[in-house]
Amino acid sequence: MAAQYGRGEPVARGGATAPSVPSRRIGFLAASAAIALLMALAAWVTIIGDDDFPSRNLFSVEAIAGAADFASGLIGAESAATPAFYKPDEWAEKGRLAAETLAMSVAAAGLAALGALILFMFGARNVMMGSLAPYRSPLWTAPFFLIRAVFTVSRAVPELVWAMILVFVFTQGTLPGVIALAIHNGGILGKLGSEIVEGLDTRPMLALRSTGARRMQVLLYGVLPEALPKFITYLFYRWEVIIRTTIVVGFVAAGGLGTEFRLAMSHFKFTEVTLILFWYLVLVLFVDVVSGQLRRLAN
Amino acid sequence: MNERPGEGSLGGRGALTAILLIAFSISLVGIGWDDGLINAGGFRAVGQILLAAIQPQLTLDVLSTGARSTWTTLTYAWAGMTVALIIGMPLGIIGSGTVVRSSWTRRWNISSARLALAVFRSIHELVWAWLFVAALGLSPMAGVLALGLPYGGILGRIYAELLQDVPESPLRALRSAGASEWRVFWFGRLPMALPDMLSYTFYRLECGIRSAAILSFVGLGGLGHNIQISLQDIDYSRMWTFVYFLIALVVAVDIWSSLVRRRVAIERG
Repeated sequence: MAAQYGRGEPVARGGATAPSVPSRRIGFLAASAAIALLMALAAWVTIIGDDDFPSRNLFSVEAIAGAADFASGLIGAESAATPAFYKPDEWAEKGRLAAETLAMSVAAAGLAALGALILFMFGARNVMMGSLAPYRSPLWTAPFFLIRAVFTVSRAVPELVWAMILVFVFTQGTLPGVIALAIHNGGILGKLGSEIVEGLDTRPMLALRSTGARRMQVLLYGVLPEALPKFITYLFYRWEVIIRTTIVVGFVAAGGLGTEFRLAMSHFKFTEVTLILFWYLVLVLFVDVVSGQLRRLAN
Repeated sequence: MNERPGEGSLGGRGALTAILLIAFSISLVGIGWDDGLINAGGFRAVGQILLAAIQPQLTLDVLSTGARSTWTTLTYAWAGMTVALIIGMPLGIIGSGTVVRSSWTRRWNISSARLALAVFRSIHELVWAWLFVAALGLSPMAGVLALGLPYGGILGRIYAELLQDVPESPLRALRSAGASEWRVFWFGRLPMALPDMLSYTFYRLECGIRSAAILSFVGLGGLGHNIQISLQDIDYSRMWTFVYFLIALVVAVDIWSSLVRRRVAIERG
């Protein structure tokens, strides 16, 4: 299965400061580990001590019986009705919704890429105010901070929350969900793209500049071609995440398997839930494979 | 650019561009455009939402609710991450196939652990949450497990790969000194992979906060719950207060996690 959670994404580039004071750094890491452990302890105490929800009874007889009930509901042993997975038309209907979900995910990934492609170079520090900038001017620094802020806000708010907000704005249909996915993932792609640019070897671009190329020319003919292959790779990784999230956005916005899942759960049609989950897994697997192949094509 | 040596796949690039553009165009056709883009009150709603963004509701009541639900979201995320570690660590180690020497057992270990991890992470945490709430009833444990399962699947897979990517020569030295496969793992492989594993875990923690915030959609508390209620009341300025709490929380954890990751990277030189 493909590497959808991109090992390349998270690891910060270190080495900004010389490793001259190791004791203080160890101190920071040790303190962080201690805080993390304390937080874990506090979190569990809070959750288990929560009186509104009897979470202590997770292993109680009722909880296990409830889980068993739900499981037999999923395989259709609960009711006398014919399970959904024995009906060919149900298969076809859910398959159509799966195709719709796939289309939503592609549209969302495309829109996110479009937005990020326009902005990502202008969110890179070296381009706007660092080694690649021929001169510093607020006309370039101000957009840098603005674009970074846009990236931060758009990715800090989860897709689902964006979708909740956007259903007030867009027409009922798949559009709010698609736009919500595009906003969140556009922010992530934009940030990753800016970090690609900040990590580029700048010597070719400096050479380009020394031939008299203006800043925009350096960006278009120097930075963009260098950054694009990695950007495309990240785009495919994100698509693999987006397909998993498209169903979730469908919980609040209309369209695709997500809406169907919500309806089936609300109406206790658990055999339909099984069928939807099956198509969901097929979709995820399909996207993982296709994205892996396309990534190979890109490199 | 194109004429760089060793990059002869210009045909591949062109084909890829064509595929992407065609797929994107087809997908756009799939969206129902017939009813127009913006709904009847849409433009007014945008105006109200944007106006509310600069005047969030800052009454003491809302602020204390925000602080309390921030804590709830934080506890879900943290408890979920501990479950993810409990799932991801052993499955990742087994899935890396590095603790057994016999090739048949190893292959069986790798494929079964990786299959389990793949199933866990294929399903989104909110879908897990809904299934767990249906099965176990409305309890924070449902949310914690729902977070832990997919995140465990992700962590486990990355751990397995990091453990496999460790350079072999120091391990060979250990082996030639007579260390058993388990000791080679414990004193060689694991310490070498640990910094990267730690980095990735911290990165995931940041994502976990966001995921925990939306768990409330299935009826559990937290920031998402308050955002949802505010939207149902069409009270955009209250919604923004909670959204700002969420942004602050995510950014704070983001900064902390990137500081930790940078320090780890420096530590390794």
